[in-house]
Amino acid sequence: MEGILAIRTALAAASEGTHVPVVAQTASDNALAPVLILVLCVVAGLGTVLLLPSKREAVLRKIGGVLMLAAGLILAAMLVHFLSGQGKGQMSIYFWIFSAIAIVGAIRVITHPRPVYSALYFVLSVLATAGLFILLWAEFMAAALVIIYAGAILVTYVFVIMLATQSSPPGSPEGSEVGALAEYDAVSREPLLASAVGFTLMGMLIFVIFDRAPSFAPVSGPSAPSSAVNGPGSVQVLGRYLFQSQIVNLELAGLILTIAMVGAILIARRQVIVTGPTAPEVLLGPSTPVDDNPHSIPVYGTDNPRQKAYPET
Amino acid sequence: MGKLPMLQQMDPLALQHYLAVGGILFVIGLIGFISRRNLIVMFLCTELMFQGVAINLVAFGRYLNNDLGGQAFTIFVLVIAAAEASLALGLVVLLFRQKNTLDANAWRELKG
Repeated sequence: MEGILAIRTALAAASEGTHVPVVAQTASDNALAPVLILVLCVVAGLGTVLLLPSKREAVLRKIGGVLMLAAGLILAAMLVHFLSGQGKGQMSIYFWIFSAIAIVGAIRVITHPRPVYSALYFVLSVLATAGLFILLWAEFMAAALVIIYAGAILVTYVFVIMLATQSSPPGSPEGSEVGALAEYDAVSREPLLASAVGFTLMGMLIFVIFDRAPSFAPVSGPSAPSSAVNGPGSVQVLGRYLFQSQIVNLELAGLILTIAMVGAILIARRQVIVTGPTAPEVLLGPSTPVDDNPHSIPVYGTDNPRQKAYPET
Repeated sequence: MGKLPMLQQMDPLALQHYLAVGGILFVIGLIGFISRRNLIVMFLCTELMFQGVAINLVAFGRYLNNDLGGQAFTIFVLVIAAAEASLALGLVVLLFRQKNTLDANAWRELKG
């Protein structure tokens, strides 16, 4: 705990030290010194370690949340301070807002103990990513992301979470209206090692991206496309590109989807043991449970014993 | 280690910023995949990694002469993500039927 306080005081001192040169507008000093970035990564890593589900008391998790909040607030303060000195950059503020929402949502995806909340925070992250796509002139991709990811894939995830959650364990008190947290949700494996590896990778990635790569400027043009119909990322232009240049890949993608659909139906079949004429035989039944539903899908070649006797309405 | 030529000598919104956001999302998904034990949350973290990759692809497509290949590649990444999600969730349902738990540690005997 003293180490964490020491890090925070060092962080405050470092931020104070770098604020003064920025105010003095010297060209050689930068708003985000590399040491500060590394220290922020370390602080955020510590906060993530504390936030990941574990057997610690709730106090330490709250401290982890405070650490992450402190790192995020210091970064936001430095950015606001830097951006206020900039004259241009009208689209910059949206970029920072969307990326902040996406990253905070992603962190809550991995640190929240309940899987349903992880899925919901992932939807938030997907919406922020769609916003980033709109900034990148990819309107169709933004809409496709929301429809496919948030509308189809995440709904499937929530369904499976619903199907695969056990009822509360026998030892839990009867009065709890919210289900007890399963042990595999409450304790994560190797949070320290995972966060150390991950944040090392993140620090190196950020260093390489900002130090080694040359600066690319976007293609010159108006800040917004003059005509929304024929803009670079519109549906017409993207569709024409797909069907003129990527037709083989498009057909292969459709084939992959068909294969995945057939595979998913085949994988989730359950075995049905039916008493045959001589011995009980095992057949592959549908994945939907055959129960009182009169419209249940019959197993081919057998008499469905659960089917009701009245005709379908 | 000299000072990085960060935000002041670059455009206010350069390609590097989008790459950094994509990289951060990817790494956060990686951390979650390694450290969580719930099978469904592990697959959710792989979807997070797909998000980071998609941001990178679209940013490259936009900043390098408005190439639409970035967006086309992202469409295919979305296709693969949907196929992988359906098959992975089918497998998770099967695994849950076997051991009645979503714990990844329940399949410890599969380790070398």
